[in-house]
Amino acid sequence: MYQSIVMTGLGGQGIITLANLISEYASENGLKVSLFNAKGMAQRGGRVTSEIRLSNDPELDFGARISAGKADILIGMEIGETINSLSFLKEGGAVILLNYAYIPTTMVLKKEPYPSFEQLTELYSGKTKELFAVKEPKHPYNMFLLGVFTAVAPAIDAGLSFYSKQSVEEGIAKKLKRGLEENLQTFNGGYAYGQSLLQHV
Amino acid sequence: MKRSIIGNQAVAYGALAAGVDVASGYPGTPSSEALTELLHFSQNNNPSPYVEWSVNEKVAFEIATGAAWAGKRALVTMKMSGANVAADSILSVAYSGTKGGLVLYIADDPGVEAGMPEQDTRLFAQWAGLPVLEPADPGRVYELTRYAFELSEKCELPVILRSVTSVAHAKQEVEGEYTYKPLGRKPEFEKNIFRYTKAGSAICIAQHEALLDRLAVVERTVRDTGINMMVESGDRNGLFLVAAGALIPYVREALSSWDHQNLSTLFLESVYPLDKELAGKMFEAAETILVLEELEPFVEMQLRSEASRLGWNGSILGKLDGLLPRVGKYSQEVIGRGLKTLASGMAGHSAATSRPVVSSERSDPGNEESAAEQPVAAELSVKHPITFCAGCPHRGTFLAVNRALKKIGLNQDNTVVTGDIGCTILGMNPPFHTCWTEVSMGSSIGLAQGFYWAGIENPVIATIGDSTFFHAGIPPLVNAVQHGANLLVIILDNGWTSMTGFQVNPGTSEQFQAKGARRVDIEGIVRGMGVENLQVIGPFDQEQSIEAIIKALQQEGVKVIISQAECALTVARREKRTLIYQIDSQKCTFCRSCLRETGCPALYVTANGKKSKHGQVMAIDPQACTGCGLCYTCCKFDAIHEQKLGG
Repeated sequence: MYQSIVMTGLGGQGIITLANLISEYASENGLKVSLFNAKGMAQRGGRVTSEIRLSNDPELDFGARISAGKADILIGMEIGETINSLSFLKEGGAVILLNYAYIPTTMVLKKEPYPSFEQLTELYSGKTKELFAVKEPKHPYNMFLLGVFTAVAPAIDAGLSFYSKQSVEEGIAKKLKRGLEENLQTFNGGYAYGQSLLQHV
Repeated sequence: MKRSIIGNQAVAYGALAAGVDVASGYPGTPSSEALTELLHFSQNNNPSPYVEWSVNEKVAFEIATGAAWAGKRALVTMKMSGANVAADSILSVAYSGTKGGLVLYIADDPGVEAGMPEQDTRLFAQWAGLPVLEPADPGRVYELTRYAFELSEKCELPVILRSVTSVAHAKQEVEGEYTYKPLGRKPEFEKNIFRYTKAGSAICIAQHEALLDRLAVVERTVRDTGINMMVESGDRNGLFLVAAGALIPYVREALSSWDHQNLSTLFLESVYPLDKELAGKMFEAAETILVLEELEPFVEMQLRSEASRLGWNGSILGKLDGLLPRVGKYSQEVIGRGLKTLASGMAGHSAATSRPVVSSERSDPGNEESAAEQPVAAELSVKHPITFCAGCPHRGTFLAVNRALKKIGLNQDNTVVTGDIGCTILGMNPPFHTCWTEVSMGSSIGLAQGFYWAGIENPVIATIGDSTFFHAGIPPLVNAVQHGANLLVIILDNGWTSMTGFQVNPGTSEQFQAKGARRVDIEGIVRGMGVENLQVIGPFDQEQSIEAIIKALQQEGVKVIISQAECALTVARREKRTLIYQIDSQKCTFCRSCLRETGCPALYVTANGKKSKHGQVMAIDPQACTGCGLCYTCCKFDAIHEQKLGG
């Protein structure tokens, strides 16, 4: 098994926490893991991208970065940045799309149209059938998405079935001390949402 | 013991395992976490090395050199641009060599993910005459950092450990000791003017010869370690693939899923000086050689020169024939293109027909094919320009500059405001559009003088952050005072080196200074230079700030304004908020002055308005608002009000 996962969005959305949780959990399950966070401008509302590569073969060599057309799974946390990341996804790869837009000041002032969630899902559906549209997310988004991911990951690839609800919950409890109850609640909400999406795929 | 760490942390633990005694550096993405990790270690462990964030890279390098000349082991860390700042000393120290291990960790950024030039430190190293190790991944960073100290001592030369963003920020499991092993050496510095001064031609000529002799020792020493590995394929087809540093894992990955496994390989992690013996062995067996390396054709040029010296008449595929790009980081597609060309045996192919299309986009893999293959994505594409954080004091300063200029009949399009490195340069972005230039650390003040002496009629303003001022802003200000230039220098003092991750600088408040360190006062420095027109303002007090700027613009000579308020992010990490601002949707007319003037990311558009035409109003994200109140100063409809937070 060999997986490349890309997450994309904006600084402040908790992408790096999400990427850390997903990759540390894979590492604890004996996988060879590489995580790259491109976060140069994270604190200033800029684009953040996390690249996770997983393998269950410890001898398999791979670099940290994911090239165009090589991502098996793409998790998009902000509409605009997810559109910018389309070329990451391989043909037929799985994509989890979050309905959240942050419109830059200049576009608000000039009343320029910002791409909609419908445009985003339409764009991606041209590249893959394995599309999970998270239309009604709850805050904090990263925990909600972790729930969705945990629910759909085993369906995407049997090699990812170690992401089980109970085990990830335990992982969250170990890593997050602040606001644990709220985070777990959101995670569970995301998990249920993910399960409902699976039924529609 | 195994731990998941990023490449920069691996530098720290490799150095600790080597018994580093002194570590210094100046923050710069993508290098900063190396020294941050060492500083953290030194604050929590005993024994520990001496670790400091120095005022700039040149000073950091000199500190490390002093320690190494006294026989200790020393590490200095910086980003590629920092090597330029330290260049004067690096080139001189190369002539003298070293006693104790001296390792320079320099991180490059192919693809410019951190925003500076695509400068290739390997060329700098060759210019200086210093050996370069280029580790393939975080695990190798650990090993080679450790080895770099040994190599440095054996060859008596500083060693450059060169990394790139894709390695420096990659988090992987690294086998290491994770402990500090002090060597307990007694500091001894030999008095030897022939080695440690440059006084006289005879001394310098002898030192230049010694440097070249030491480089020859490096070549032999590294050869025995097996750091560079050549594997010849069984079928002797004459096809060789050479890959350097960070590209090695990607090439291994490509080869593992590649039909043509009959290529011979030479993987290089020691790229300067070239191991000529090893290269010679390759030339004996090779007919066509593909060289894979990011940025400049550094290994390729060395190989071509050696091939020419040996009279080898095979062909080399790489950048100089136009096959592979010199810009951006390499994707698997680029590596694959190289491999295919090599496998097809296209020896002596025409450069004109195989010239690659190099995207003018930043080399984000997500962007690579967006223009050509994804027209819809390109059409929908939006950019999120980076801006000041919610509550950032720099917002107040740039707002006040723009308001002051407007008040005296000037504006940001007819008044030259030079910018500088760090968060303050965001004053060039919307909605401010205030800064006109960004060159290098401290350059805002020098450039401003040039504009003045060129005869620019309107007042000239230089803007610079606190850490940047300490780093390289002091000499140009001294120069302005001496020569009587007419300019206003605004020092935006937020107390931290924020852009690179909130490192301490000389101006950081006393309570956050390391044990035994103290704060250095910017106001005292400026007064000491003889600047008479000096004002200190708080940027959230707009009336005071605008008045101070207008007053300064009407004075002659050098004027300095220090705009002081702590970085909103460091405050937020430490203190609970007591008040925020909110917008009354009944009063908001959706004029958007608040957003137009401040561009604060806490402001957003929402529905539910009554006064506005389309039912839209502005709102403030209560999670993001820090209560700075700048939006309040923009509202003409009394729609923005304070809200106290409980507790």
